[in-house]
Amino acid sequence: MSRLRRFLRIYTPFTRAGIQEAVTYRANFICHLIGEIMSAFIMYFVWKAVFLSSDSESFMGFTMEDMVVYLFITFLTGYLTYSDGAFAVGEEIVDGSIAARMIRPCSFEMCFLFQELGNRIISVSMIFVPMVAGVEIYRFVLCGEIRFNIIYFLLFLLSLVIAYMISFYFNVCYGFMAFFFKNLWGTTLIKETLVGFLSGAIIPLAFLPAGVAAVLNLLPFASLSYTPVMIYMGMYSPAQIALSLGLQIFWLAAMIGISKLVWRSAVKRLAVQGG
Amino acid sequence: MRYIKLHRIFIAQYLKKLMEYKADFTLGAIGLLIAQAFQILFLGIIFSQIPSLRGWQFEQILFIYGFSLISKSLDHLFTDNLWMVGYRIVRKGEFDKYLTRPINTLYHVIAENFCVDAFGEVLSCVLLLGYSIPRLSMPFYWYTIPLWIVSAVFATLIYTSLKIMTAAISFWTKSSGHITHMLYMVNDFSKYPVSIYNRFVQTVITYILPFAFTAYYPASYFLTGENPLFCVGGTVVAGSVLFALAIFVWNKGIGAYESAGS
Amino acid sequence: MDSMIHVENIRKDFKKIIKEPGLKGSVKALFKPNKEIVRAVDGISFDVPKGEILGFIGPNGAGKSTMIKMLTGILTPTSGFCRINGCIPQQDRKNYVREIGVVFGQRTQLWWDLALRETYAVLKEIYQVPDEQYKKRMKFLNEVLELDSFITSPVRTLSLGQRMRADIAASLLHSPKVLFLDEPTIGLDVVVKENIRDAIMRINAEEGTTVILTTHDLSDIELLCERIVMIDKGKKVFDGAISELKRNYGDIRTMEFELLKPSDGGLLDYLSEFGDKADISFEQDKTSVKVRFDASSVSVEKIISYTLSAVHIKDFKINDVEIEEIIKKLYKSGVSA
Repeated sequence: MSRLRRFLRIYTPFTRAGIQEAVTYRANFICHLIGEIMSAFIMYFVWKAVFLSSDSESFMGFTMEDMVVYLFITFLTGYLTYSDGAFAVGEEIVDGSIAARMIRPCSFEMCFLFQELGNRIISVSMIFVPMVAGVEIYRFVLCGEIRFNIIYFLLFLLSLVIAYMISFYFNVCYGFMAFFFKNLWGTTLIKETLVGFLSGAIIPLAFLPAGVAAVLNLLPFASLSYTPVMIYMGMYSPAQIALSLGLQIFWLAAMIGISKLVWRSAVKRLAVQGG
Repeated sequence: MRYIKLHRIFIAQYLKKLMEYKADFTLGAIGLLIAQAFQILFLGIIFSQIPSLRGWQFEQILFIYGFSLISKSLDHLFTDNLWMVGYRIVRKGEFDKYLTRPINTLYHVIAENFCVDAFGEVLSCVLLLGYSIPRLSMPFYWYTIPLWIVSAVFATLIYTSLKIMTAAISFWTKSSGHITHMLYMVNDFSKYPVSIYNRFVQTVITYILPFAFTAYYPASYFLTGENPLFCVGGTVVAGSVLFALAIFVWNKGIGAYESAGS
Repeated sequence: MDSMIHVENIRKDFKKIIKEPGLKGSVKALFKPNKEIVRAVDGISFDVPKGEILGFIGPNGAGKSTMIKMLTGILTPTSGFCRINGCIPQQDRKNYVREIGVVFGQRTQLWWDLALRETYAVLKEIYQVPDEQYKKRMKFLNEVLELDSFITSPVRTLSLGQRMRADIAASLLHSPKVLFLDEPTIGLDVVVKENIRDAIMRINAEEGTTVILTTHDLSDIELLCERIVMIDKGKKVFDGAISELKRNYGDIRTMEFELLKPSDGGLLDYLSEFGDKADISFEQDKTSVKVRFDASSVSVEKIISYTLSAVHIKDFKINDVEIEEIIKKLYKSGVSA
């Protein structure tokens, strides 16, 4: 217990700094959020047009209602699990300040994690409730009954937290690789686009050919977005939920392991360079 | 004339710099190309289930999408440095340099960078138009090509002017990159026919942030031959008005510039 | 006399948002920002004749940089104006900057990733320097600033001293009539400093270039400037020749005596002998005595005769007036002329 207390005492100042940063740059924050939300609305209009142009009530197993929930919950998940660790790591490696991290008595990625959590607290408090409420009100208006399921919702929250952790460690690994590229903008664009596709954020995995979808479901990327969203929508059976949560935990463990390996080799590299 | 010569020199210098880094710069182009490819795949999946989207054929949608990339990629290719004004140049006081040179500041900022990343969009654009045009029966007159050029130029001007204005906000606020970003997300609305949106969105992207004139309106004229006055004329008017406004805001902003440091 | 630079009652205000510390403070600042107007430059006037080297001095945050930035047209004055080479910088920017050169010591104007020579090639076009003149100019600058050894290296690989020489050359490429140097010797070692000072003096002597410089390094001022303008808290507190400054603000000297006998150490007490009217301070040990005083109130002769009357000396040395001493004194007394 006292170890936990000590752990929290070391890292909560980072969270406080994260909150402060988010509040200070709130104007940037809001502009960024509005910008990102546009793309969800564009997709909403495209899907509305698709359903209006189609004779049937459903599109490859999705109704318009499903599609709207999918779009906005995917947006919410993507927004909340987005991790900036890569840029922080990359920048510190390039300017050499990472060396200072190694002599401090705290874990390198924990500092980032707790700082980002501070940031996340602000984004959750700003968009989570309005977004979920909006989606549920839309559902209610469209079909006249409350479709909100508290159990699915709690499981979604659990899955969302794991998804964020996977995303965080994945981006820490990417940050170390970004060291080798000077065009961080380009590599990040490639990464985001690929992750967006592989995680089902651009096209629901269910719309892809069955074989492709099956493979993508097993990859860590589905755990980033598709899994929590499917759980929220109640698309998964209890067995599927258990299985996909298990898969998420597996990928989280794997990502932590890989990031430790990458970190160790980076430390060696820095030691060799005397950096 | 002098500015054209200068521009050639700036681009030559930029390409020399490019040679220093080589591969890193193609990554941005590849990224943009992949991003477009997934969007097209998405459209393909949709059209595998429905014959048309609110009356628009798949090829027509691809044409509009490709057309939207003409102005977007040209603007990206030539004026990418404006992003840096809002993100860094003003905040860090680097704008001092441009003010001590005997050439137009706006021109100098723009000319200094040439974004090869945008070739990813140029290539997507060429592929989309190259695929869709032969599959469409579009009306063709002697003035079609001049009108294309006119609409491409003024559509690009719409993009660039909006970027100039949002970049210039940083002269007052120190940093405005996030505002440019917000605006840029709105331009994605122009990739699809305006008719799929509701009244509110239509009004915004036609009269307030006239991104619809960068793609849908001119593209629909070239597709159908209808309404040239509004579709192409509107692009010219929107581009000219915004550009005049942008120059005005930029020059006002320079007077408010506070540099950095003591 | 034709005045190259005419500054009249120029003023610059900045709006500054005062933020209270802590989380609460930053939240509060969002809703009700606490704005304060800071007057960085407060009604300064002066004239500079053609061909003069003028030094701007003052403590940190005195308004030196703001002043330079208004003179170069980067900042727009809140009120007042300056006319340089017949132009109002903010009104006729493009024509004005064609005739001036600007170097900011802390920020390079060179193209970071390209060989140095490429920067000059671009600047040649920007300033429209004809080929023939460009060749001659490069040869001259090469000679004065010794660019040859690194002109083909990318700018990012240059040492600070090389970079500064390159930056000064860049600002002189178009033969400007006025050269502005903001901290041109900051962070440089003694040899490079000397090289740069020589170059500035040579350009000034050979081409009659008017030079305005700000610096922290007072030896720059002493060696280069005929005249200085001192500013503090945005106001001009002194304007004149260095000799005049010395006359007005005391004639501070230091003398060192080397003692013959160690037993004499500690016998001297200048303070009780002369009182504090002469701004005397001293330090002594077994072998030497160092005394600092204002020669306009106590003569050198009196100091020597007092010292000789009390101790035996082997040798002594009088150091000339140190401008640094005067400026230190001025800064300390809060400067209000």
